Amino acid sequence: MTRVMRIILFTLLLSAAAARADIAIVINSDSDVQQINRSEAINIFMGRYRKLPDGSVALPIDQTPLRARFYRSLVNKEMAEINSYWARLVFSGQSSPPQQAASTIELVDIITHNTNALGYIDSDQVPASMRVLMTLRE
Amino acid sequence: MKRILPLLAVLLWTGSADIQAQTRFLDDRVTLSGFGTLGLLHSNQEHADFVRDIGQPKGAEQGWSSRIDTRLGLQADIRFDEKLTGVIQGMSQYHSSGDFSPELMLAFLRYSPDPGFQFRVGRLGWDVDLVSDSRYVGYAYPWIRPPVDHFGVLQLTYIDGADVTFKRPMGSDLIWARFFTGRTNSRAYLSDELYANFDADHIYGGHLNYETGAWRFRAGYTRIESDVDYGGTLADQVAQIPGFNTRRFFNAATGFEQLEVYSVGAIYNPGPLQLQAIWNRDILIRNEIWVDSAFVSAAWRFNDLSPYTVLSAVRTHDDRDDPLNSNIEQRTWGVGLRYDVANDLAIKTQVDRIHTHSPGLLWRNTDDSWNGGWSTMVSLGLDFIF
Repeated sequence: MTRVMRIILFTLLLSAAAARADIAIVINSDSDVQQINRSEAINIFMGRYRKLPDGSVALPIDQTPLRARFYRSLVNKEMAEINSYWARLVFSGQSSPPQQAASTIELVDIITHNTNALGYIDSDQVPASMRVLMTLRE
Repeated sequence: MKRILPLLAVLLWTGSADIQAQTRFLDDRVTLSGFGTLGLLHSNQEHADFVRDIGQPKGAEQGWSSRIDTRLGLQADIRFDEKLTGVIQGMSQYHSSGDFSPELMLAFLRYSPDPGFQFRVGRLGWDVDLVSDSRYVGYAYPWIRPPVDHFGVLQLTYIDGADVTFKRPMGSDLIWARFFTGRTNSRAYLSDELYANFDADHIYGGHLNYETGAWRFRAGYTRIESDVDYGGTLADQVAQIPGFNTRRFFNAATGFEQLEVYSVGAIYNPGPLQLQAIWNRDILIRNEIWVDSAFVSAAWRFNDLSPYTVLSAVRTHDDRDDPLNSNIEQRTWGVGLRYDVANDLAIKTQVDRIHTHSPGLLWRNTDDSWNGGWSTMVSLGLDFIF
Protein backbone atom coordinates (compact mmCIF):
# COMPACT_ATOMS: atom_id res chain seq x y z
CA MET A 1 0.00 0.00 0.00
CA THR A 2 2.81 2.35 0.97
CA ARG A 3 4.44 1.61 -2.34
CA VAL A 4 1.26 2.50 -4.20
CA MET A 5 0.99 5.73 -2.23
CA ARG A 6 4.58 6.59 -3.13
CA ILE A 7 3.91 6.00 -6.80
CA ILE A 8 0.78 8.20 -6.66
CA LEU A 9 2.66 10.94 -4.85
CA PHE A 10 5.54 10.74 -7.31
CA THR A 11 3.12 10.94 -10.27
CA LEU A 12 1.38 13.96 -8.76
CA LEU A 13 4.70 15.71 -8.20
CA LEU A 14 5.76 14.97 -11.75
CA SER A 15 2.56 16.36 -13.22
CA ALA A 16 2.88 19.46 -11.04
CA ALA A 17 6.41 20.00 -12.27
CA ALA A 18 5.30 19.56 -15.88
CA ALA A 19 2.45 22.10 -15.52
CA ARG A 20 2.83 25.15 -17.70
CA ALA A 21 2.64 28.72 -16.51
CA ASP A 22 -0.76 30.34 -16.07
CA ILE A 23 -2.08 32.67 -18.73
CA ALA A 24 -2.11 36.42 -18.08
CA ILE A 25 -4.46 38.84 -19.83
CA VAL A 26 -2.37 41.93 -20.42
CA ILE A 27 -2.68 45.52 -21.59
CA ASN A 28 -0.29 48.36 -22.30
CA SER A 29 0.95 49.73 -18.96
CA ASP A 30 0.02 53.25 -20.14
CA SER A 31 -3.65 52.24 -19.99
CA ASP A 32 -5.73 53.45 -17.03
CA VAL A 33 -7.35 50.05 -16.65
CA GLN A 34 -5.99 48.18 -13.63
CA GLN A 35 -7.93 44.90 -13.78
CA ILE A 36 -10.86 43.12 -15.34
CA ASN A 37 -12.99 40.24 -14.07
CA ARG A 38 -13.80 36.99 -15.85
CA SER A 39 -17.18 38.21 -17.14
CA GLU A 40 -15.57 41.27 -18.70
CA ALA A 41 -12.85 39.11 -20.25
CA ILE A 42 -15.50 36.79 -21.73
CA ASN A 43 -17.53 39.75 -23.04
CA ILE A 44 -14.46 41.22 -24.72
CA PHE A 45 -12.87 38.08 -26.22
CA MET A 46 -16.16 36.43 -27.21
CA GLY A 47 -17.36 39.63 -28.93
CA ARG A 48 -20.38 40.19 -26.66
CA TYR A 49 -19.48 43.66 -25.36
CA ARG A 50 -16.07 45.12 -26.13
CA LYS A 51 -15.70 47.90 -23.61
CA LEU A 52 -13.01 48.33 -20.98
CA PRO A 53 -13.90 49.35 -17.41
CA ASP A 54 -12.60 52.90 -18.08
CA GLY A 55 -15.16 53.29 -20.89
CA SER A 56 -12.75 52.93 -23.81
CA VAL A 57 -13.25 50.47 -26.66
CA ALA A 58 -11.44 47.16 -26.12
CA LEU A 59 -9.35 45.73 -28.96
CA PRO A 60 -8.82 42.03 -28.15
CA ILE A 61 -5.93 40.19 -29.79
CA ASP A 62 -5.67 36.41 -30.06
CA GLN A 63 -2.23 34.84 -29.89
CA THR A 64 -2.40 31.85 -32.23
CA PRO A 65 0.02 29.50 -30.37
CA LEU A 66 -1.79 30.03 -27.04
CA ARG A 67 -5.34 30.19 -28.40
CA ALA A 68 -6.49 26.68 -27.50
CA ARG A 69 -5.17 26.89 -23.92
CA PHE A 70 -6.63 30.36 -23.44
CA TYR A 71 -10.20 29.50 -24.48
CA ARG A 72 -10.15 26.18 -22.63
CA SER A 73 -9.22 28.12 -19.54
CA LEU A 74 -11.59 31.08 -20.11
CA VAL A 75 -14.79 29.32 -21.25
CA ASN A 76 -13.99 25.57 -21.09
CA LYS A 77 -14.30 25.16 -24.87
CA GLU A 78 -12.15 23.44 -27.47
CA MET A 79 -11.04 25.22 -30.66
CA ALA A 80 -13.68 23.50 -32.80
CA GLU A 81 -16.35 24.94 -30.49
CA ILE A 82 -14.78 28.38 -30.53
CA ASN A 83 -14.66 28.30 -34.35
CA SER A 84 -18.25 27.08 -34.40
CA TYR A 85 -19.26 29.97 -32.11
CA TRP A 86 -17.57 32.48 -34.39
CA ALA A 87 -19.01 30.88 -37.53
CA ARG A 88 -22.48 31.71 -36.19
CA LEU A 89 -21.58 35.33 -35.44
CA VAL A 90 -19.41 36.03 -38.50
CA PHE A 91 -21.70 34.48 -41.14
CA SER A 92 -24.78 36.17 -39.72
CA GLY A 93 -22.91 39.49 -39.82
CA GLN A 94 -23.14 40.01 -36.07
CA SER A 95 -19.53 40.34 -34.96
CA SER A 96 -15.91 39.60 -35.79
CA PRO A 97 -13.40 37.46 -33.89
CA PRO A 98 -10.34 39.07 -32.26
CA GLN A 99 -7.43 40.00 -34.52
CA GLN A 100 -4.78 37.30 -34.68
CA ALA A 101 -1.15 37.67 -33.63
CA ALA A 102 1.04 34.85 -34.93
CA SER A 103 3.56 35.04 -32.05
CA THR A 104 4.29 36.61 -28.68
CA ILE A 105 6.61 39.09 -30.44
CA GLU A 106 3.79 40.24 -32.74
CA LEU A 107 1.38 40.47 -29.80
CA VAL A 108 3.82 42.59 -27.80
CA ASP A 109 4.31 44.84 -30.83
CA ILE A 110 0.54 45.39 -31.25
CA ILE A 111 -0.06 46.07 -27.56
CA THR A 112 2.93 48.43 -27.36
CA HIS A 113 1.39 50.55 -30.11
CA ASN A 114 -2.27 50.45 -28.92
CA THR A 115 -3.27 51.46 -25.39
CA ASN A 116 -6.67 49.78 -25.72
CA ALA A 117 -5.38 46.50 -27.18
CA LEU A 118 -5.37 43.54 -24.82
CA GLY A 119 -4.04 40.07 -25.33
CA TYR A 120 -2.88 37.03 -23.42
CA ILE A 121 0.55 35.68 -22.72
CA ASP A 122 2.27 33.03 -20.57
CA SER A 123 2.32 34.60 -17.12
CA ASP A 124 6.07 34.04 -16.76
CA GLN A 125 6.76 35.98 -19.97
CA VAL A 126 4.98 39.26 -19.23
CA PRO A 127 7.22 42.17 -20.33
CA ALA A 128 7.67 45.19 -18.08
CA SER A 129 5.79 47.39 -20.56
CA MET A 130 2.56 45.48 -19.88
CA ARG A 131 0.11 45.33 -17.02
CA VAL A 132 -1.57 42.10 -16.01
CA LEU A 133 -5.36 42.64 -15.86
CA MET A 134 -6.25 39.12 -14.85
CA THR A 135 -4.61 35.70 -14.50
CA LEU A 136 -6.29 32.52 -15.69
CA ARG A 137 -5.25 29.52 -13.59
CA GLU A 138 -4.78 26.32 -15.57
CA MET B 1 -28.79 15.77 -59.84
CA LYS B 2 -27.00 16.98 -62.98
CA ARG B 3 -27.23 20.57 -61.86
CA ILE B 4 -25.64 20.01 -58.52
CA LEU B 5 -22.68 17.94 -59.72
CA PRO B 6 -20.61 21.00 -60.72
CA LEU B 7 -21.45 22.60 -57.38
CA LEU B 8 -20.32 19.50 -55.51
CA ALA B 9 -17.07 19.54 -57.47
CA VAL B 10 -16.49 23.17 -56.49
CA LEU B 11 -17.35 22.42 -52.87
CA LEU B 12 -14.94 19.50 -52.73
CA TRP B 13 -12.20 21.52 -54.32
CA THR B 14 -12.79 24.43 -51.97
CA GLY B 15 -12.97 22.16 -48.96
CA SER B 16 -9.72 20.42 -49.69
CA ALA B 17 -7.71 23.32 -51.08
CA ASP B 18 -6.98 25.20 -47.90
CA ILE B 19 -8.91 23.64 -45.11
CA GLN B 20 -6.50 24.80 -42.44
CA ALA B 21 -6.76 28.46 -43.32
CA GLN B 22 -9.37 30.23 -41.24
CA THR B 23 -9.36 33.48 -43.15
CA ARG B 24 -7.36 35.21 -45.81
CA PHE B 25 -6.36 38.78 -45.25
CA LEU B 26 -6.10 41.36 -47.97
CA ASP B 27 -4.07 44.18 -46.39
CA ASP B 28 -6.10 43.78 -43.17
CA ARG B 29 -9.03 45.72 -44.58
CA VAL B 30 -10.79 42.90 -46.36
CA THR B 31 -11.25 39.45 -44.86
CA LEU B 32 -12.51 36.67 -47.10
CA SER B 33 -14.12 33.61 -45.57
CA GLY B 34 -16.73 31.02 -46.34
CA PHE B 35 -18.80 28.10 -45.21
CA GLY B 36 -20.46 25.14 -46.79
CA THR B 37 -22.23 21.84 -46.37
CA LEU B 38 -22.22 18.66 -48.38
CA GLY B 39 -25.40 16.92 -47.36
CA LEU B 40 -26.82 13.53 -48.24
CA LEU B 41 -30.21 12.38 -47.08
CA HIS B 42 -31.93 9.01 -47.33
CA SER B 43 -35.72 9.00 -47.08
CA ASN B 44 -37.85 5.89 -46.64
CA GLN B 45 -41.06 7.80 -47.42
CA GLU B 46 -42.54 6.64 -50.71
CA HIS B 47 -45.67 8.80 -50.59
CA ALA B 48 -44.10 12.26 -50.29
CA ASP B 49 -40.83 14.17 -50.67
CA PHE B 50 -39.11 15.81 -47.69
CA VAL B 51 -38.11 19.49 -47.84
CA ARG B 52 -35.91 21.55 -45.56
CA ASP B 53 -38.11 24.65 -45.77
CA ILE B 54 -41.15 26.06 -47.56
CA GLY B 55 -38.89 27.88 -50.05
CA GLN B 56 -37.80 24.61 -51.69
CA PRO B 57 -40.05 23.68 -54.65
CA LYS B 58 -38.91 20.05 -54.77
CA GLY B 59 -37.99 17.75 -51.95
CA ALA B 60 -35.88 14.69 -51.32
CA GLU B 61 -37.63 11.71 -52.87
CA GLN B 62 -37.46 8.16 -51.55
CA GLY B 63 -33.86 6.95 -51.57
CA TRP B 64 -30.76 9.15 -51.50
CA SER B 65 -30.76 12.85 -52.32
CA SER B 66 -28.19 15.63 -51.99
CA ARG B 67 -30.56 18.44 -52.93
CA ILE B 68 -31.90 19.90 -49.74
CA ASP B 69 -28.89 20.44 -47.46
CA THR B 70 -25.97 21.16 -49.79
CA ARG B 71 -24.76 24.76 -49.96
CA LEU B 72 -21.76 27.06 -50.27
CA GLY B 73 -21.41 30.60 -48.92
CA LEU B 74 -18.67 33.18 -49.47
CA GLN B 75 -18.25 36.33 -47.44
CA ALA B 76 -16.14 39.47 -47.50
CA ASP B 77 -15.83 41.59 -44.36
CA ILE B 78 -14.59 45.10 -45.10
CA ARG B 79 -13.16 47.42 -42.46
CA PHE B 80 -13.26 51.08 -43.49
CA ASP B 81 -12.17 52.33 -40.07
CA GLU B 82 -12.71 51.38 -36.43
CA LYS B 83 -16.35 52.47 -36.50
CA LEU B 84 -17.46 51.68 -40.04
CA THR B 85 -17.44 48.15 -41.44
CA GLY B 86 -19.28 46.26 -44.16
CA VAL B 87 -20.24 42.69 -44.98
CA ILE B 88 -21.12 41.06 -48.31
CA GLN B 89 -22.19 37.43 -48.48
CA GLY B 90 -23.30 35.32 -51.43
CA MET B 91 -24.66 31.82 -51.14
CA SER B 92 -25.61 29.00 -53.46
CA GLN B 93 -28.22 26.52 -52.28
CA TYR B 94 -31.32 24.84 -53.65
CA HIS B 95 -33.96 27.52 -53.14
CA SER B 96 -37.21 28.99 -54.41
CA SER B 97 -36.03 29.50 -57.99
CA GLY B 98 -35.74 25.70 -58.25
CA ASP B 99 -31.97 25.65 -58.77
CA PHE B 100 -28.69 26.46 -57.05
CA SER B 101 -28.45 30.00 -58.47
CA PRO B 102 -26.43 32.20 -56.08
CA GLU B 103 -28.22 34.75 -53.91
CA LEU B 104 -26.96 37.86 -52.18
CA MET B 105 -27.66 36.99 -48.55
CA LEU B 106 -25.98 39.89 -46.72
CA ALA B 107 -24.83 43.29 -47.97
CA PHE B 108 -24.74 45.95 -45.31
CA LEU B 109 -22.77 48.78 -43.75
CA ARG B 110 -22.35 48.80 -39.99
CA TYR B 111 -21.67 51.95 -37.99
CA SER B 112 -20.70 51.35 -34.39
CA PRO B 113 -19.32 54.43 -32.64
CA ASP B 114 -19.47 52.65 -29.29
CA PRO B 115 -19.68 48.96 -28.20
CA GLY B 116 -23.11 49.76 -26.75
CA PHE B 117 -24.62 50.97 -30.04
CA GLN B 118 -24.70 49.68 -33.59
CA PHE B 119 -26.56 50.77 -36.73
CA ARG B 120 -26.71 48.57 -39.84
CA VAL B 121 -28.23 49.38 -43.20
CA GLY B 122 -28.53 47.20 -46.29
CA ARG B 123 -29.44 43.54 -46.70
CA LEU B 124 -29.63 41.88 -43.28
CA GLY B 125 -30.41 38.40 -41.99
CA TRP B 126 -33.78 37.88 -40.30
CA ASP B 127 -32.94 37.15 -36.67
CA VAL B 128 -36.48 36.48 -35.55
CA ASP B 129 -35.16 33.91 -33.08
CA LEU B 130 -31.82 32.87 -31.60
CA VAL B 131 -30.71 30.69 -34.53
CA SER B 132 -32.65 31.92 -37.59
CA ASP B 133 -30.01 34.24 -39.06
CA SER B 134 -27.33 31.53 -39.00
CA ARG B 135 -29.56 28.61 -40.02
CA TYR B 136 -27.62 27.98 -43.23
CA VAL B 137 -24.21 27.74 -41.50
CA GLY B 138 -24.00 24.03 -40.72
CA TYR B 139 -20.65 24.30 -38.97
CA ALA B 140 -22.23 26.63 -36.38
CA TYR B 141 -24.66 24.10 -34.88
CA PRO B 142 -24.58 20.45 -33.81
CA TRP B 143 -27.37 19.18 -36.10
CA ILE B 144 -27.37 18.15 -39.76
CA ARG B 145 -29.95 20.88 -40.32
CA PRO B 146 -31.90 23.12 -37.96
CA PRO B 147 -35.13 21.31 -36.97
CA VAL B 148 -37.41 21.45 -40.02
CA ASP B 149 -40.62 21.55 -37.98
CA HIS B 150 -39.47 24.87 -36.57
CA PHE B 151 -37.19 26.55 -39.13
CA GLY B 152 -38.89 25.04 -42.19
CA VAL B 153 -41.91 27.32 -41.81
CA LEU B 154 -39.96 30.60 -41.53
CA GLN B 155 -41.14 32.90 -44.29
CA LEU B 156 -38.24 35.30 -44.86
CA THR B 157 -34.59 34.74 -45.73
CA TYR B 158 -33.32 38.31 -45.48
CA ILE B 159 -34.56 41.87 -45.08
CA ASP B 160 -33.53 44.95 -47.07
CA GLY B 161 -33.63 47.65 -44.45
CA ALA B 162 -31.94 48.80 -41.28
CA ASP B 163 -31.54 47.82 -37.65
CA VAL B 164 -30.27 49.42 -34.46
CA THR B 165 -28.80 47.55 -31.50
CA PHE B 166 -28.37 48.81 -27.95
CA LYS B 167 -26.28 46.93 -25.37
CA ARG B 168 -25.87 47.58 -21.67
CA PRO B 169 -23.98 45.56 -19.06
CA MET B 170 -25.81 44.88 -15.80
CA GLY B 171 -23.18 43.76 -13.33
CA SER B 172 -21.66 40.70 -14.95
CA ASP B 173 -24.75 40.20 -17.16
CA LEU B 174 -25.61 41.78 -20.48
CA ILE B 175 -28.92 43.10 -21.70
CA TRP B 176 -29.42 44.12 -25.30
CA ALA B 177 -32.16 44.98 -27.75
CA ARG B 178 -32.45 45.25 -31.51
CA PHE B 179 -35.10 46.90 -33.64
CA PHE B 180 -35.37 46.40 -37.38
CA THR B 181 -37.46 47.50 -40.32
CA GLY B 182 -37.36 46.87 -44.04
CA ARG B 183 -38.85 45.01 -46.94
CA THR B 184 -38.17 41.87 -48.95
CA ASN B 185 -39.48 39.52 -51.62
CA SER B 186 -39.81 35.82 -51.00
CA ARG B 187 -41.61 32.79 -52.37
CA ALA B 188 -43.22 30.04 -50.31
CA TYR B 189 -44.48 26.78 -51.78
CA LEU B 190 -47.78 25.56 -50.40
CA SER B 191 -47.69 22.44 -52.58
CA ASP B 192 -46.38 21.30 -55.96
CA GLU B 193 -49.30 23.12 -57.60
CA LEU B 194 -49.32 26.38 -55.69
CA TYR B 195 -46.84 28.97 -54.50
CA ALA B 196 -47.16 32.41 -52.94
CA ASN B 197 -45.00 35.38 -53.92
CA PHE B 198 -44.59 37.72 -50.97
CA ASP B 199 -43.87 41.35 -51.72
CA ALA B 200 -43.34 42.17 -48.06
CA ASP B 201 -43.12 45.95 -48.08
CA HIS B 202 -43.67 46.60 -44.37
CA ILE B 203 -41.57 44.53 -42.04
CA TYR B 204 -40.76 45.68 -38.56
CA GLY B 205 -39.88 44.06 -35.30
CA GLY B 206 -37.27 43.57 -32.65
CA HIS B 207 -36.00 41.40 -29.88
CA LEU B 208 -34.87 41.72 -26.29
CA ASN B 209 -31.94 39.64 -25.07
CA TYR B 210 -30.54 38.81 -21.66
CA GLU B 211 -27.22 37.01 -21.22
CA THR B 212 -26.06 35.76 -17.85
CA GLY B 213 -23.19 33.31 -17.43
CA ALA B 214 -23.78 30.44 -19.86
CA TRP B 215 -27.44 31.41 -20.45
CA ARG B 216 -28.84 33.42 -23.36
CA PHE B 217 -32.50 34.37 -23.50
CA ARG B 218 -34.42 36.08 -26.29
CA ALA B 219 -37.96 37.29 -26.81
CA GLY B 220 -38.73 38.54 -30.32
CA TYR B 221 -41.51 39.93 -32.45
CA THR B 222 -41.86 40.57 -36.19
CA ARG B 223 -44.81 41.94 -38.16
CA ILE B 224 -44.89 41.34 -41.92
CA GLU B 225 -47.37 43.09 -44.21
CA SER B 226 -47.24 41.90 -47.81
CA ASP B 227 -48.87 42.08 -51.18
CA VAL B 228 -49.18 38.42 -52.06
CA ASP B 229 -49.90 36.89 -55.45
CA TYR B 230 -50.04 33.24 -56.40
CA GLY B 231 -48.66 30.99 -59.10
CA GLY B 232 -48.49 27.34 -60.08
CA THR B 233 -50.89 25.04 -61.89
CA LEU B 234 -53.61 25.38 -59.26
CA ALA B 235 -53.50 29.17 -59.46
CA ASP B 236 -53.60 28.91 -63.27
CA GLN B 237 -56.67 26.68 -63.14
CA VAL B 238 -58.47 29.02 -60.77
CA ALA B 239 -57.58 31.96 -63.02
CA GLN B 240 -59.47 30.27 -65.89
CA ILE B 241 -62.75 30.70 -64.06
CA PRO B 242 -64.43 33.76 -65.59
CA GLY B 243 -64.89 36.70 -63.27
CA PHE B 244 -62.92 35.04 -60.48
CA ASN B 245 -60.32 37.08 -58.61
CA THR B 246 -57.55 34.52 -58.02
CA ARG B 247 -55.54 36.70 -55.73
CA ARG B 248 -58.46 37.63 -53.54
CA PHE B 249 -59.54 34.00 -53.36
CA PHE B 250 -56.16 32.69 -52.23
CA ASN B 251 -55.49 35.57 -49.89
CA ALA B 252 -58.82 34.91 -48.21
CA ALA B 253 -57.86 31.25 -47.88
CA THR B 254 -54.30 31.75 -46.62
CA GLY B 255 -54.39 35.06 -44.76
CA PHE B 256 -50.76 35.61 -45.76
CA GLU B 257 -51.09 39.39 -46.17
CA GLN B 258 -50.61 40.14 -42.49
CA LEU B 259 -48.37 37.97 -40.37
CA GLU B 260 -47.04 38.29 -36.87
CA VAL B 261 -44.26 36.13 -35.45
CA TYR B 262 -43.61 35.86 -31.72
CA SER B 263 -40.57 34.00 -30.48
CA VAL B 264 -39.13 32.99 -27.12
CA GLY B 265 -35.90 31.07 -26.80
CA ALA B 266 -33.07 30.08 -24.49
CA ILE B 267 -29.61 28.59 -24.94
CA TYR B 268 -27.50 27.15 -22.12
CA ASN B 269 -23.91 26.42 -23.05
CA PRO B 270 -21.54 25.88 -20.10
CA GLY B 271 -18.55 24.12 -21.67
CA PRO B 272 -19.29 20.69 -23.14
CA LEU B 273 -23.09 20.82 -22.70
CA GLN B 274 -25.31 22.72 -25.14
CA LEU B 275 -29.05 23.01 -24.51
CA GLN B 276 -31.37 24.96 -26.80
CA ALA B 277 -35.11 25.54 -26.76
CA ILE B 278 -37.10 27.90 -28.98
CA TRP B 279 -40.84 28.38 -29.43
CA ASN B 280 -42.40 30.50 -32.20
CA ARG B 281 -46.00 31.45 -32.88
CA ASP B 282 -46.89 32.68 -36.39
CA ILE B 283 -50.25 34.42 -36.48
CA LEU B 284 -52.15 34.90 -39.74
CA ILE B 285 -54.16 37.85 -38.51
CA ARG B 286 -57.01 37.88 -41.01
CA ASN B 287 -58.13 34.29 -40.52
CA GLU B 288 -57.29 33.94 -36.84
CA ILE B 289 -55.03 31.01 -37.70
CA TRP B 290 -51.77 30.45 -35.94
CA VAL B 291 -48.88 28.07 -36.34
CA ASP B 292 -46.95 26.97 -33.27
CA SER B 293 -43.50 25.51 -33.76
CA ALA B 294 -40.87 24.58 -31.21
CA PHE B 295 -37.83 22.46 -30.54
CA VAL B 296 -35.60 21.37 -27.69
CA SER B 297 -32.11 20.10 -28.29
CA ALA B 298 -29.29 18.74 -26.14
CA ALA B 299 -25.71 18.10 -27.23
CA TRP B 300 -22.73 16.93 -25.18
CA ARG B 301 -19.11 17.08 -26.28
CA PHE B 302 -16.71 14.22 -25.52
CA ASN B 303 -13.40 15.36 -27.00
CA ASP B 304 -14.06 15.49 -30.78
CA LEU B 305 -17.42 13.72 -30.62
CA SER B 306 -20.69 15.46 -29.83
CA PRO B 307 -23.76 13.24 -29.65
CA TYR B 308 -27.03 15.12 -29.66
CA THR B 309 -30.76 14.69 -29.63
CA VAL B 310 -33.47 17.04 -30.83
CA LEU B 311 -37.24 16.99 -30.51
CA SER B 312 -39.36 19.34 -32.61
CA ALA B 313 -43.02 19.88 -33.42
CA VAL B 314 -45.21 22.13 -35.52
CA ARG B 315 -48.97 22.54 -35.57
CA THR B 316 -51.43 24.78 -37.39
CA HIS B 317 -54.40 25.89 -35.30
CA ASP B 318 -57.24 26.41 -37.75
CA ASP B 319 -60.96 26.01 -37.05
CA ARG B 320 -61.76 25.89 -40.76
CA ASP B 321 -61.69 22.84 -43.00
CA ASP B 322 -58.11 23.38 -44.30
CA PRO B 323 -59.21 24.77 -47.71
CA LEU B 324 -55.79 24.45 -49.38
CA ASN B 325 -54.51 21.36 -47.57
CA SER B 326 -51.76 23.57 -46.19
CA ASN B 327 -52.19 22.94 -42.48
CA ILE B 328 -49.32 21.13 -40.78
CA GLU B 329 -49.17 18.86 -37.78
CA GLN B 330 -45.96 16.96 -37.29
CA ARG B 331 -43.44 15.89 -34.68
CA THR B 332 -39.83 14.81 -35.19
CA TRP B 333 -37.38 13.10 -32.91
CA GLY B 334 -33.78 13.03 -34.04
CA VAL B 335 -30.51 11.66 -32.71
CA GLY B 336 -27.15 12.36 -34.22
CA LEU B 337 -23.41 12.60 -33.85
CA ARG B 338 -21.06 15.42 -34.79
CA TYR B 339 -17.38 14.53 -35.23
CA ASP B 340 -14.98 17.46 -35.38
CA VAL B 341 -12.32 16.11 -37.70
CA ALA B 342 -10.41 19.39 -37.62
CA ASN B 343 -11.04 22.86 -36.24
CA ASP B 344 -12.81 23.85 -39.45
CA LEU B 345 -14.35 20.58 -40.59
CA ALA B 346 -17.10 18.47 -39.05
CA ILE B 347 -18.76 15.25 -40.16
CA LYS B 348 -22.27 14.59 -38.96
CA THR B 349 -24.81 11.85 -39.10
CA GLN B 350 -28.40 12.01 -37.93
CA VAL B 351 -31.50 9.82 -37.87
CA ASP B 352 -34.91 11.47 -37.74
CA ARG B 353 -38.20 9.76 -37.03
CA ILE B 354 -40.99 12.02 -38.27
CA HIS B 355 -44.59 11.49 -37.26
CA THR B 356 -46.82 13.43 -39.65
CA HIS B 357 -50.51 13.93 -38.90
CA SER B 358 -51.06 16.57 -41.57
CA PRO B 359 -48.31 17.10 -44.20
CA GLY B 360 -49.34 20.62 -45.29
CA LEU B 361 -46.59 22.90 -46.57
CA LEU B 362 -43.68 20.72 -45.49
CA TRP B 363 -43.91 17.88 -48.04
CA ARG B 364 -43.88 17.80 -51.84
CA ASN B 365 -45.06 15.38 -54.50
CA THR B 366 -47.54 14.03 -51.97
CA ASP B 367 -49.77 11.12 -52.95
CA ASP B 368 -53.45 12.05 -52.77
CA SER B 369 -54.03 9.15 -50.43
CA TRP B 370 -51.23 10.13 -48.02
CA ASN B 371 -52.45 11.94 -44.92
CA GLY B 372 -49.33 11.35 -42.91
CA GLY B 373 -47.65 8.59 -41.01
CA TRP B 374 -44.14 7.71 -39.92
CA SER B 375 -41.03 8.54 -41.97
CA THR B 376 -37.38 7.86 -41.27
CA MET B 377 -34.65 10.13 -42.58
CA VAL B 378 -30.98 9.18 -42.38
CA SER B 379 -28.62 12.06 -43.07
CA LEU B 380 -24.91 12.44 -43.62
CA GLY B 381 -23.24 15.83 -43.68
CA LEU B 382 -19.86 17.44 -44.05
CA ASP B 383 -19.68 21.02 -42.79
CA PHE B 384 -16.71 23.27 -43.25
CA ILE B 385 -15.55 26.83 -42.85
CA PHE B 386 -12.58 28.52 -44.42
